Amino acid sequence: MNSNKTTRVLFHILSILLVILFIFPLIWMIVSSLKPEAEVYDNMGSLQAFLPSNHISEWFGAYESVFSRFSIFRYILNSVFYAFSVTIGSIIVNSLAGYAFAVLNFRFKKLLFGLMIGLLAIPGETILITKFVVTQKLGILDTPLAVILPLMATPLYIYMFTIFFRAISTELQESAVLDGANKFQIYWKIMLPMSKPAVATVGTLSFIMSWNDYIWPLMVLTNADRYPLQVAITNINNTEPVYINQVMAILTLSTIPLILIYVFFQKYLVQGLGASGTGEK
Amino acid sequence: MNTVKQLFVRKKVPHINVKDNLTAYLFLAPSLIILGLFLFYPALMSLYYSLTDYYLLTPQLTEFIGLDNFKNLLSDPLMRKSLMNIFKFVILILPIQVGTALGLALLVNNQRKSTIIYKVAYFSPVVMSLAVISILWLYLLNPSSGLINEVLSNFGISAQPFLTSPTQAMYVIVVISAWQGAGNQMLIFLAGLQNIPSSIYEAARIDGAGRGRQFWNVTLPMLKPTSLMILTTTLIDAFKLIIQPMVMTQGGPLNSTMTPVYYIYRTGFTDRQLGFASAMTVLYGGLIIVFTVLQRKFVGGDTNE
Amino acid sequence: MKLKKVIAVLGIFIVFLVGCGNNDDSENAANDQTISVWVHVSREEPEGQAMEESIERFNESQDDYTAEIQFIPRSGSGGGYEDVINAALTTDTLPDVLTVDGPNTAAYAQSEILQPIDQYVSDKDDVLPSIIEQGMYDDQLYSMGYSESGIGFYYNIDMLEQAGIDTDALPTVDEPWDWDEFNHMLETLHDHYKKPILDMGFDDQSEFLLYAYTPFLWSNGGEITNEEQTEAVGYFNSEESHETFSFIRQLVENDYSTISPVEYGFHTGEYALLMSGSWTMQELDEEYQDINYGIMPYPVSSNTHELVSPTGSWAYGMSGTTSNPEGAGAVIDFLTQEEQMYQVSMANSVLPARYSVAERMVEEVSEPMQLLIEQNTKTGRARPSIVNYPQVSRAFQETVTETTYYDYSPDLQEILDTKAQEIEVYLNQEN
Repeated sequence: MNSNKTTRVLFHILSILLVILFIFPLIWMIVSSLKPEAEVYDNMGSLQAFLPSNHISEWFGAYESVFSRFSIFRYILNSVFYAFSVTIGSIIVNSLAGYAFAVLNFRFKKLLFGLMIGLLAIPGETILITKFVVTQKLGILDTPLAVILPLMATPLYIYMFTIFFRAISTELQESAVLDGANKFQIYWKIMLPMSKPAVATVGTLSFIMSWNDYIWPLMVLTNADRYPLQVAITNINNTEPVYINQVMAILTLSTIPLILIYVFFQKYLVQGLGASGTGEK
Repeated sequence: MNTVKQLFVRKKVPHINVKDNLTAYLFLAPSLIILGLFLFYPALMSLYYSLTDYYLLTPQLTEFIGLDNFKNLLSDPLMRKSLMNIFKFVILILPIQVGTALGLALLVNNQRKSTIIYKVAYFSPVVMSLAVISILWLYLLNPSSGLINEVLSNFGISAQPFLTSPTQAMYVIVVISAWQGAGNQMLIFLAGLQNIPSSIYEAARIDGAGRGRQFWNVTLPMLKPTSLMILTTTLIDAFKLIIQPMVMTQGGPLNSTMTPVYYIYRTGFTDRQLGFASAMTVLYGGLIIVFTVLQRKFVGGDTNE
Repeated sequence: MKLKKVIAVLGIFIVFLVGCGNNDDSENAANDQTISVWVHVSREEPEGQAMEESIERFNESQDDYTAEIQFIPRSGSGGGYEDVINAALTTDTLPDVLTVDGPNTAAYAQSEILQPIDQYVSDKDDVLPSIIEQGMYDDQLYSMGYSESGIGFYYNIDMLEQAGIDTDALPTVDEPWDWDEFNHMLETLHDHYKKPILDMGFDDQSEFLLYAYTPFLWSNGGEITNEEQTEAVGYFNSEESHETFSFIRQLVENDYSTISPVEYGFHTGEYALLMSGSWTMQELDEEYQDINYGIMPYPVSSNTHELVSPTGSWAYGMSGTTSNPEGAGAVIDFLTQEEQMYQVSMANSVLPARYSVAERMVEEVSEPMQLLIEQNTKTGRARPSIVNYPQVSRAFQETVTETTYYDYSPDLQEILDTKAQEIEVYLNQEN
């Protein structure tokens, strides 16, 4: 019994160490935004690096500067809009394709699937110019659609949905067919609700992908009022002189929504098949 | 249209009728259109550009030059060097990152209380800006004043050059990349774990299987499609390494962390040799696909496609 | 089922936002008297604000044209903004006037992205020669810099005095120190502090290295290429070049400087000396007021005693495709006259590009800034105007890096020979 307790304590200590190992940049970012710039560098060699300024009056100086330098709220609103649109679009578009690959039979299925995996191998950085030409030909330059549309379909997420849909019991689908459900109803009423882990994962990753996108929005948008938050971040980080506490403040502002969205989707992740127990195989 | 239909009919897969095809392609239509426009077509254009002398600033003067780019590429010393670098990176990061991710996922999945703290912690490097992460690591790894060297000195280890050493830099990038990216795969592993019906575990328990047996006989086999997907995508992502060396070492010191995609990007956009860069993309993309196929064959038992 | 509800709510939210976002502002049909101007800075930065105000003043100053400014903030050394330019030229949608980074002038001129502006820019005698030099390609002026930049050696007065150096006897622009005198100071400092005392930015593997290190080479009578810019062999690997890089190498070999400096080490009192530009002054004045600093000019070659300092910055150019060269020329001319240049330089705390602006600014700025302005106007030299500048710059960067990694590549001459050949290939490569 005693040794069991010891292992548990050890396990907890290990877990905490592991947590620290992964979370320390987040902590550093937040506390660095809460102190004057000089302190950020002065504290670097000591544990004080991971504590905010001793004077509470100095905590929000960097935030005040950032808010006075940029119209942060507009940028955040734009980013939120792009990211939500991408997230929802990505869940729907990719899951539709995943359903086809997982459940339906059609010609060229293997070929298309192989091609899709092949597309993963293309480094996105190298096709920017042609992508831009396509967007221009579609006539959607300087509209939100130009930012959102290209991110809605991603081979990786199609692949993920394919795998998760495959794991869902065929019996359920067959009984639905007997009840007169068509393919779309099966997808919408059975497959999607039963793949919450996949939906949550794709949702989280799509949101992050869109939120952190910088070069593409800048290329296709000409109206500065539509720029996402990343434009302000890159700007603040590249305009000499660079004030590290302001950089950290704006990065904190940009990271918090991502953590929130992650926590939000996590709730659905744990409500997946395992917990609800509806899945049979 | 007719010839297309004949194509469909001639092939002998009798149980797929026109209606099934139509339904399936309706499901596929949105993604096929988007991927076709923004990924497949640009990729095809790269294939075409690879046979031309496309100079970024004078697209109107582009001329067809056959395989010249490829000939030059084969004798390019930096391409060879960057290939060696990326092989080293891929071989090391694949087991480290996927292993870490699986370990974290199992840990989180078995955690009863306050899982959200653990999850946020492990996932936070993924959502953090690479700028923050690289600034912080550059500090910690600074050979003259970094915290890590200070810690090492307590154990009697002399100051290490880390990212400023041509022999150590790549290993440091491996560790940081694995640390930074593991949360991503952890998330997918977690989804895979959650996707395993609890009824199977119950059945195993009724059969008297202990925790270890359950892991070997239920968890691992059920996780196989997910694992294969993660291995495939991690492999491909690893081959596409660019941001970390770009931000932390600019490919140096002495090109020891130059990677093919970084080199392609630099050639195409900094040096403006888009034709040559496209040839690199084509050759390198082909190489990645070959390795992906090999890996899937090697890991084996893929029943999916 | 809850998830679907969430999706539905979000969907409504998005439709709402799309509705809000689509305020159609397409009423201004292309008017020939409208001059579009693209700049690489953000509207929210002081420089962007100053530019916007200048454009407003232009519009008020005459009735013929209306200039419209568009902000396309760059990332790092120009990414983002340059991507937009590249995309625009593939789709033939370049603006009438655009900002270009000085060293890009040659490539943009050769590709006819820019066209000559000699006839539009007035009062050229007042412009610093380095600015004209930077904008020249093929004997014509293609870009007109609106501000300057420069580098000096920041010194920590207290740290120097503690080591026993007389800070009243430091070098000036008219009487600079040569490399030996400079080394002597470094030796004194090193003996006192027993660690590297100079941050030379060796870890900055970017354009900075060519920018900051060519003055050493030029001061010693060396060159990267011949005057026609067709050969580098025999120039970049010359004896002068070898001496220059030996001087750079010994800074690391003698432990005066380091390839891996502590970041912000000068700001926090770790280093007594820092080679850096005017932006560091802003940082020090606003956030590190404990540091009591001054700026000294570049050390000069012991052979020539000639002081050379780096220059160059962003400039205005006229696109090759503009339908209204007269209007675009009028905008460029207006933006590069004394008053507008003065406003931008002051707003951004950068160096002036005209003598008249320099005279005005010297009255109003701090002593270290005065030194940079003086060094700049008297000794500035532009970076070479080369079409394949990015490649040449990188070869130069690699030379500096390999020079400082003396363990890995001990033979300096071999490095220079290799790089000279490499540069020569880039000089003659046709695109």
